[in-house]
Amino acid sequence: MTLLVAIVAADPVRRLGLAALVTRAGHQVLESHGGADVLLVDDVAVCSDGPPVVALGAAEAGQAGLLPCDATAAQIDAAIRSVAAGLIVRAADPRRPGFRAIGDEEAPLLTAREIEVLAAIGNGLSNKAVARQLGISLHTVKFHVEALLRKLGASSRTEAVHKGLKQGLIEL
Amino acid sequence: MQDTLAQFSDALVERAAVAQGFVISIRCTRFQPRSGTLWRTDVAVASEQVAPKTEEAEIVLADGKVAQARVAGRDRGTNVVAFRLQQPVEVDLPAAVEPRLGAFALVFGADGGGGTIVRMGIVRALGPAWHSLGGGRIDHRISLDLTISSAEEGGPVLDASGGLLGMSTAGPRGRALVIPAATIERVLTPLLTAGRVERGWLGLALHPVALAEAITAEGGRGRGLMVMRVSRDGPAGKAGVLAGDILVSVGGAPTGHPGDVARQLGPESVGQTIELRLIRSGSVLTLAAMVTAHPAR
Repeated sequence: MTLLVAIVAADPVRRLGLAALVTRAGHQVLESHGGADVLLVDDVAVCSDGPPVVALGAAEAGQAGLLPCDATAAQIDAAIRSVAAGLIVRAADPRRPGFRAIGDEEAPLLTAREIEVLAAIGNGLSNKAVARQLGISLHTVKFHVEALLRKLGASSRTEAVHKGLKQGLIEL
Repeated sequence: MQDTLAQFSDALVERAAVAQGFVISIRCTRFQPRSGTLWRTDVAVASEQVAPKTEEAEIVLADGKVAQARVAGRDRGTNVVAFRLQQPVEVDLPAAVEPRLGAFALVFGADGGGGTIVRMGIVRALGPAWHSLGGGRIDHRISLDLTISSAEEGGPVLDASGGLLGMSTAGPRGRALVIPAATIERVLTPLLTAGRVERGWLGLALHPVALAEAITAEGGRGRGLMVMRVSRDGPAGKAGVLAGDILVSVGGAPTGHPGDVARQLGPESVGQTIELRLIRSGSVLTLAAMVTAHPAR
């Protein structure tokens, strides 16, 4: 289902990024608020008695949708659809992971090469630069990146780095 | 003569009345009140992961009396924070009992206003000793069939006979776990004397990796732990471990999971020399590292 989404963002670059993301999710981005099904707000306070709001990085509890500012594309799309359907959306509290066992959540088992590739893209290298650094072909790098995204259940390189390294690293 | 259900209910009421003698609320300004357990006449324990990060707190007893307390020590590894009360109070903590699968569990907490709250569940899973992400050894894995909030965790958990199972702790997704009484007793001694529990440290950040078939024969297993980061002044760094090495055994025990390393780094490991077997550039390398105490965090 296509929804009409209006976007308010303090940062024009973020607005462009959000607009692209919303369009990719199959929605239509409006230039003005009038007639919008959902208002997507990034890092600005709005009070709206118009369409339901999905707010990124907001602290006030009044809005229908509240997501952290680093919400994934899938989360933003799900939140837009949910608030349009009259539901309230909150991110599960990431600050309360709970007391857990070491290596409890079985991290996806990456190969040593995949970890090297992950670390390299974590340093901001492009596929071409990774290929040069590791002395492998561009085709092989793409193959490793695809495997990484699949194993980590990530939709982008940034998400893969975040999931793979930040959660998998255990210090002893 | 009452029927069984009424008798059962009365028994629960009795247990709750007894528990009020050692369920406490921990208050301090600028923080939400938390729950805790009065463990000894001058010692209270609570859940470290949600305890206020301050040094002083007020302990509110069920009868409304307030006692001043100071943090004596914290242990992230077992999720225990110990408070020392300035004035001893009377307490009659029940004796510890062995957990049993399927047994009733009464989970107590404080509501912050001097009241006691209680939930009832059963021991839904029971396992052997395990290691927490913080490296602590927990004597039993006791998980209950209920979830608890941050405000409630830290209170006592009793079984049907009124015996003490331990302290409640919220696990992943708020699932209630019990830190066994024996574990708390074990860490209280160092916490009250030194303020911390010593734990061995190698100074490595590790990530599990699949080993290629060619080196599985050398490593003995299909998995190892890749060294992602080495603390320069840490024991492993001094022994010559480099980022990119794959750790396949510590102290002779194969390391396919981070827990395998944690098991080798208990309090007794501090000051000992331990053998590290690594795969570097396809061949096996053996290094010796002198384990030091984990630097305070």
